[in-house]
Amino acid sequence: MIPVLLITIPLLAGLATFFIRDEKAARSWALLASLLTLGCAVAGITFLKGAANLEAHAQWLPALGAQFSVKLDGMGQLLCLLTAVSYPVIFLGTWKATYANAKNFFALMLLAQAGLMGVFLSMDALLFYFFWELALIPMYFLCSTWGGDKRIRVSFKFFIYTFLGSVLMLIGILYVYGMTKDQSFSINSFYNAGLSNAQQNKLFWLFFIAFAIKMPIFPFHTWQPDTYEQAPTATTMVLSGVMVKMGVFAVIRWLLPVLPLASYAWGDVVTTLAITGMIYASLIAIRQDDLKRLVAYSSIAHIGLMCAAIFSETESGMQGVMIQMFNHGINIIGLWLVVEMIERQFGTRKISELGGLAQKAPAMAILLVIVALANIALPLTNAFPGEFLMFNGIFSSTVTQYYLWFTVLGGLSIIFGAVYTLNMIRKVFYGESNALTAGAQDIRWNEQLALGVIVILILWLGVCPQTLLNTVQETAHSILNKADVLPYIRKH
Amino acid sequence: MFQLLQSGLNGTGAGSYLPVVIQIIFAVGLVAFLMVVTHMLGPKRKTTDKLQNFSSGIESHGDARHPMAIKYFLTAILFVLFDVEVIFFYPYAVNFKMLGWNGFWAVMLFVAFFLCGFIYIIKKGALKWED
Amino acid sequence: MNALLLSALMGVVMMFSGIVLKSKAAIRNIAIAGMLALLLVNILEMNGTVFLVIDSKGMIGFDRFALLFNSIIFFSTFLYLTLSARDMEKVGVNYAEYLALIFFILCGIALVSSFRSLIILFLGIEIISIPLYILTGSDKLNLKSNEASLKYFLLGSFSTGLMLMGIALIYGAKGTFYTSGINMVNGAISPLLIAGMLLLMFSMAFKVSVAPFHFWTPDVYDGAPTVFTSFMATIVKAGVFIAFIRLFDEGFASQQPKWKLIIAILTAATLLIGNITAVFQQSVKRMLAYSSIAQAGFMLLSVYAMSPDSKEGLILYAAAYCMATIGIFAVLIKMSDYTFDGFNGFAKQQPLLAAVTTIFLLSLAGIPLTAGFMAKFYMIKAAMYNSGLLWLPILALVMAAVSVSYYFRVIQAMYFRESSTPSTLTVTPAFRYTLVALAALVVLLGIFPNLLLAWLYF
Repeated sequence: MIPVLLITIPLLAGLATFFIRDEKAARSWALLASLLTLGCAVAGITFLKGAANLEAHAQWLPALGAQFSVKLDGMGQLLCLLTAVSYPVIFLGTWKATYANAKNFFALMLLAQAGLMGVFLSMDALLFYFFWELALIPMYFLCSTWGGDKRIRVSFKFFIYTFLGSVLMLIGILYVYGMTKDQSFSINSFYNAGLSNAQQNKLFWLFFIAFAIKMPIFPFHTWQPDTYEQAPTATTMVLSGVMVKMGVFAVIRWLLPVLPLASYAWGDVVTTLAITGMIYASLIAIRQDDLKRLVAYSSIAHIGLMCAAIFSETESGMQGVMIQMFNHGINIIGLWLVVEMIERQFGTRKISELGGLAQKAPAMAILLVIVALANIALPLTNAFPGEFLMFNGIFSSTVTQYYLWFTVLGGLSIIFGAVYTLNMIRKVFYGESNALTAGAQDIRWNEQLALGVIVILILWLGVCPQTLLNTVQETAHSILNKADVLPYIRKH
Repeated sequence: MFQLLQSGLNGTGAGSYLPVVIQIIFAVGLVAFLMVVTHMLGPKRKTTDKLQNFSSGIESHGDARHPMAIKYFLTAILFVLFDVEVIFFYPYAVNFKMLGWNGFWAVMLFVAFFLCGFIYIIKKGALKWED
Repeated sequence: MNALLLSALMGVVMMFSGIVLKSKAAIRNIAIAGMLALLLVNILEMNGTVFLVIDSKGMIGFDRFALLFNSIIFFSTFLYLTLSARDMEKVGVNYAEYLALIFFILCGIALVSSFRSLIILFLGIEIISIPLYILTGSDKLNLKSNEASLKYFLLGSFSTGLMLMGIALIYGAKGTFYTSGINMVNGAISPLLIAGMLLLMFSMAFKVSVAPFHFWTPDVYDGAPTVFTSFMATIVKAGVFIAFIRLFDEGFASQQPKWKLIIAILTAATLLIGNITAVFQQSVKRMLAYSSIAQAGFMLLSVYAMSPDSKEGLILYAAAYCMATIGIFAVLIKMSDYTFDGFNGFAKQQPLLAAVTTIFLLSLAGIPLTAGFMAKFYMIKAAMYNSGLLWLPILALVMAAVSVSYYFRVIQAMYFRESSTPSTLTVTPAFRYTLVALAALVVLLGIFPNLLLAWLYF
């Protein structure tokens, strides 16, 4: 029941929003709907934990072997919670932002949420593909309608990139479907398809390119900084906070267990790409003067680490990725909120033009510092356990012989991360205030509320990450079991 | 030669067309031969009259490429259309008995459709000469 | 059989209605009512009610596939007439004749969808083609329309000649016109049969505008009055495709190794040329012409795959493609400016029409939740499992991604650009409702394609 509600509430609410004429009403309605979704998600994780509540199956296309089959497993719970939490926070944080044709904006946002929920919940490959695209279309319209000056070209690039990836994935899905024993799209049939080594190697890139574009992994990342820069901030938050997790999530659920042999064979290549991307993105971020682009490149670096940790195929790495997906989503939304505030007040995102904000806006400064420290994974912030587990996983990986290199290079990019984040704080918040920032005001109540929620989550999950770890433990274990290639290697 | 023809007739492939090919070669060859021979043997007298177009002995006026009223074409094409109709009646007439009532109704349908067309063109004024 | 007779009869009725009736609305209503009747008798025949049985000596056979396909064709034409019949008035004075010709074309489609003998195929193709030449040139005072008509007629008759030659050669090889007889293998394969098959393939490829026989398409579609382009590009094209698949399924199935690769190459060429050329168009109408070539490439996959799957795919594809393209054309006809810029700011002026047009465009591009996705999905599925060739489906889908770039240009113009001129567009409420219903149908088929496919079996 819960998964169906998680999809249908935003879907129906979103469709209804198209017909609300009043802007204020549309805004409140969207917030209400997102809070309702959050309630459902929380209920699914806390007290309605029975198996009957967490899955739903219905006939959809029996002739094809496709089912409407949704289920909330450990990883799904975490990501649905992230989606559900982020939406009210985003709506609150951007409460004062005005949009032309606001009803359409909120409607599309909610539709995108429905798509995202569907991606995290589907247990059927065709359904997964449907939601994968359903999440993309509203995003495209959001970016193209309400973004910056270059929005049309940039968001079209984004769309073409991801669509090209998805069609390749569709081929992959169809191929695996043809190989399943019972001609079915269900995830278990996919896990037991029994593909040969050669087939898996062929299919791997069809799937991986789709996911790599979404994450994004170097060299498929070129759409990302432009899109983040041009999209309206609320949309960027969804894109970077939740949507990139689609790629990471899909690798864990649909790539590793379905194509274990190929994941093992290509693991080194993929990790190399991911690590290269991390260092590359960090170096660019150091040189960035634009706040939005800085956050965008830092996001590439973080996602790269997650990807590398997945392909280390260790239990601690996998758990680290899963909780880090949640934490990274929270942190980056916080960062965007601050960027949005700065841009709104001063009309610029240039780091070089800002300075000395801490004296004028102490509350903003404190909140930002906490978020920024979380972004570089300082202990006691939520990102620390995740990154620690991921590095631990990469270092103890048994599937690669270059684990030492990967760990060292990955660690290097973390140091870079500290450099650019602290540099940004120093330049923007400390030092002398200039003519532009002299009249700075502190943040509004709605932003305080949104950032407050984020800071509380950061601190709470930083001190006791065990709650999250408990949720994902089982999923990580079962995924790794399916991805285990040792039996195969022993046999041959 | 005779053997060749025989083997061709028995076969089912392209070889069975051999007699046709021979006939074509013979026909083309004869025409070519006659044309060449008349040119070589006949006398040649060139006059202006001879170089002009000849149409049934009537003296020709001007160029054939000047615009004509569309009505000529319309009438001509309609004539051809209804004239060709007759060729469907010949095979029917020959097989009249064999085709029985079934054939009769089929032909009636055909005639009915044609009659519709005929009424249509008259109603549309396609055959009206003066505007 | 019901529909075949009724469509011919309706054609005659429409001819005379132009003479008897003076009111164009009355003529239009008769045509729409006739269309509905046509759909109805066809559905009745699907349920086993045949009004008049004519012994065709096995030359015509209405099976489930043909009947369902005809139903889709008739339904699409019904939609087309309700949406666009009013716009035919602007083309010329012979309003009733245009409608009569459309009914004759439907008669031809009913023939080619059910032929069992090459004679019927030829007859049907000609019944389709000749009215089309007239409709293309119906805008008599427009030079482009005349040029298009002449071009279409010359090339069309040439391809008809090829087809006749092919049929003659096949008759020479097999001694029969029946597809079942042609398919029978006895002894060595005669080169005549192969030559005839190739000629037939090429002439059919011409009729459905498959590359490299597509050169007439953009000019003809662009030159013809837009109302008739809509009809030609959708219903007629789909109608000839069923003849294509039937010919190769029933006539040449036993020769599959001989033609499979050629069809694969034709498909690839069509997809590449259609999609890539469409990207560079400046006029939406011309873009749709190239897009129809691209979509023909996708439909050709069904001939290539040749399996029950591919027949399902073709049914779905025909429905999805016809509905979406008719919808887009219905809107396009109302526009004064056919370039992409003509759509600028359309969403502000006509939010509802822009929304439905978006759905149609998404369907053509093959985005999930629309019928177009399911159609492409079935096609790709069929093509993948019946060959083991992976490059063709991959190429097809990559080209689908390319197609996004030109379909989305319209969406970009409608939603994200501002118009400089105010809209002069006027539409009736009925037009709106029909389009909305059509869009709803596109989405419905995109979620539950089995609503349509179930008809194929029960």
